[in-house]
Amino acid sequence: MEVTLKIFRYNPEKDKKPSYKTYKLEAVETDRVLDLLEKVKGYQDGTLSFRRSCAHGICGSDAMRINGMNRLACKTLVRDVGTRITVEPILGLRVIKDLIVDMEPFFDNYKKVMPWFINNDPPPEKERLQSPEARLRFDDTTKCILCACCTTSCPSFWGSDEYLGPAAFVNAHRFIFDDRDQAAAERLKIVNEVMGVSRCHTVFNCTLACPREIQITKAIGELKMALVTGVLS
Amino acid sequence: MGLSRNVSLWQGLKYQGQGPMLTFILHRIGGLGIVVFVSVHLLASYFGGEVGIFLNSVYEHWAFQLVVFFCALFHAINGLRIVILDLWPKLIEHQREAIWIEWAVFLPLYAMCVLVILRTALSG
Repeated sequence: MEVTLKIFRYNPEKDKKPSYKTYKLEAVETDRVLDLLEKVKGYQDGTLSFRRSCAHGICGSDAMRINGMNRLACKTLVRDVGTRITVEPILGLRVIKDLIVDMEPFFDNYKKVMPWFINNDPPPEKERLQSPEARLRFDDTTKCILCACCTTSCPSFWGSDEYLGPAAFVNAHRFIFDDRDQAAAERLKIVNEVMGVSRCHTVFNCTLACPREIQITKAIGELKMALVTGVLS
Repeated sequence: MGLSRNVSLWQGLKYQGQGPMLTFILHRIGGLGIVVFVSVHLLASYFGGEVGIFLNSVYEHWAFQLVVFFCALFHAINGLRIVILDLWPKLIEHQREAIWIEWAVFLPLYAMCVLVILRTALSG
């Protein structure tokens, strides 16, 4: 089948304004959008720029807007989006070139919630044991690959990149509800700041955009309840 | 170098967020509608006289009432859905069904009110 690929193009060294270029190419319905981009770059236009790494939905490098919705190009098949495909960079982050955006503000927000394990007790002889039930409490939020699909689909983040964003909340949730961690109160204080969870308007764009199918809005809801009740169980 | 991070209203509206995004947009429009209605109401009382009578005729017009009622009813029902989901985060797993229920409550209620408003308007 023939696929029409309309791609957002912007070269800061040449272009004053971004534009769209259309490419026609042969594909099969099980091709991924990433395969199409590789074909365009390899055979039609070597100047096309985009990020990719593992190409298997793990590294989270190739988040982009495909037919108006945030997705990973390596997990999106032609049969899921049709033969007329528009590819644009994710919203709310500065476009550096074509589909490449500046991820720094995203990672700055991520670091603010202290996404690492904190426990000041002396380490035990073996591992720090945890019950399967306690592990299950934050299982969903361990799946985040930091692709930014969620944060850049959020209207609150479009309004301000000071807003911590869903990905930061997901990673805060991962440690706050880990019963081995000792910095839950500190993290709750961070997510309770002006640009924290109170700016979440329960739009669900994050949940729908997440390529790992994390229940992000639910995790944010649990953070809100933990802030109100002070209960983590 | 590079493009600004700013997201225009048009870019935001074009995002394909499906059902929940539609309710988010309608909730904002609903809020604005309520502000307009209350403002016109207050201005009518404040100015009185001919201006007041004119403003009264605006917000008592059936077309204005249809719009305002849509705004107020949708804002209320959608707000209730969000409050329920915020209070019981476990229910968020069923957010799709929550939106179906919201429309199932909203549409018959609004249709009934449209009928009453139009019948009143047409009967003079």
